[in-house]
Amino acid sequence: MSEGPDEVTLQRKAKGKRPFYFSDPDVDRLLSMVMALTGELSVTRDRLDTLERVARAKGLFSASDIETYQLTDSDMEERAARHRAIFKEVTRIIVGELEDLEDRDEQDYRAVVDQVENDG
Amino acid sequence: MSIAYKEQHVHDALPETSHDELARQHFVRSFKEHLVTALHPGLKTAYEKRAKPRFVAEHQREPQSIQEVGQVMKQDSHYQAWSSLLRTSQEMMWSAAQIPVERAIADLAAQAAATPKIGSLRLDPDLQIPSYHTAVDIHCQPGGYHTEYIDNDVAQGAIYDRAVYIYAMGQMGVNNADMGDSTVAWLKQEHPDFKPTRILDMGCAVGHSTLPYASGFEGAEVHAIDVAAPMLRHAHARASSMGLPVHFSQQNAESTDFEDNSFDLVVSHILLHETSSAAIKNVIRECHRVLKPGGMMLHVETPPYEGMEPFDTFIFDWDSENNNEPFWRKSHLLDLEALARDAGFQSHTPIQIMVPSAFQETQRSNTFQGGDFGGGGVWFVYGCQK
Ligand SMILES: C[S@@+](CC[C@H](N)C(=O)[O-])C[C@H]1O[C@@H](n2cnc3c(N)ncnc32)[C@H](O)[C@@H]1O
Repeated sequence: MSEGPDEVTLQRKAKGKRPFYFSDPDVDRLLSMVMALTGELSVTRDRLDTLERVARAKGLFSASDIETYQLTDSDMEERAARHRAIFKEVTRIIVGELEDLEDRDEQDYRAVVDQVENDG
Repeated sequence: MSIAYKEQHVHDALPETSHDELARQHFVRSFKEHLVTALHPGLKTAYEKRAKPRFVAEHQREPQSIQEVGQVMKQDSHYQAWSSLLRTSQEMMWSAAQIPVERAIADLAAQAAATPKIGSLRLDPDLQIPSYHTAVDIHCQPGGYHTEYIDNDVAQGAIYDRAVYIYAMGQMGVNNADMGDSTVAWLKQEHPDFKPTRILDMGCAVGHSTLPYASGFEGAEVHAIDVAAPMLRHAHARASSMGLPVHFSQQNAESTDFEDNSFDLVVSHILLHETSSAAIKNVIRECHRVLKPGGMMLHVETPPYEGMEPFDTFIFDWDSENNNEPFWRKSHLLDLEALARDAGFQSHTPIQIMVPSAFQETQRSNTFQGGDFGGGGVWFVYGCQK
């Protein structure tokens, strides 16, 4: 393994101007960081998951037990289901707005305030 | 809805991944699946209920082109969120594939060099990397196909090999071989008497689509070319470890050193859309030159835009503006008949067909692109007999 002064650092940004999508690009930046954070959280949860599986399988565990644990396709199915649950939580705001668009015609909130303030 | 989980076949040329490195890759795969299955369908809803009515109110007619759909969709909050997340997932995919390779880059090079080889590898350090590859890093792989960090470097190949599996969410099979598998299956079914003995795969990358020809046409001499050395080194080690002899060489498909009339079959898989207007003509002309009379040229791509609804075209075209695929749009709008004719294919009518995917094991999402490459269940094949 290369270490120290010889350590190789790969290029991490693809050449080419990155597009931004929201009217304020800081929203894109924030979203990117949120997703990275979500990823790291998921990685951590996966590690715990392995820990629990190993502990259950062996009665006790070590770090190398975790490193060498071989995931089966069905282990991964279970994990993918948990990822879906996390996504549902994290993208709630976006999916929620879609539900409005699909099923409800949300009244203007100000109009509701007007209504409750002035109905009596 | 979810896409069945099956892990990539781990061959000797792939890097070892630690527990957390692998978990990070699996997360990206799940992220992409979520975009495809949960957020992609909402694009159509947002278009029908929000974006299109806005356009109609202003113009008293429906949008008719990619640009017109774009005018209103790019303002739509769901499209913005989906695009921003899709772009982010692409960046996370490359990063997750890079991490184990960066950690072990020297070991990987040594391991590839030490793999007992079959077939051959011929590199050309003086080969000029075409400007359509150096201008931007295609589909956002940092460093593109060609960058080399150390001597005998395989890093870009090892990263690409793993990233393709994550990108396709496994829907191209455990060896990422679906394009080659599907084309070989189609050839055997439609042309049972065609028995190619010398085959050339252009723009082979790490050989995902090349190997099906080596295993499918036993005894055939299979050649594969690419401009990028790290792809070819990884491809040679990979093919050798999988027991399939292929002759790899570093050449530009626009102009090779193969003899005239020397191949029965010349193929490429998702190469053409990564070239340019000038280069694509050169590539087709080169196919004509190296083919034997009666030989067959086949290029596997995603379907042309002709006949597609404006909204579908806009979504399908996402990569051209958002994923560093500068020739994507133009390549899907070409007059393919004229392209073949002008390159010398004049005795036969060009083939332009949809070939069913050979990979049926998984539930497919049945969306094409929009972040779901390989999910369509079909491939577009363009070609011609010489
Ligand atoms: C999308 S990848 C191809 C994937 C591969 N055919 C497969 O099916 O797995 C495109 C490849 O074409 C190569 N390429 C691009 N232009 C080329 C050219 N003019 N001549 C040879 N190779 C080229 C790139 O270096 C890259 O490896």
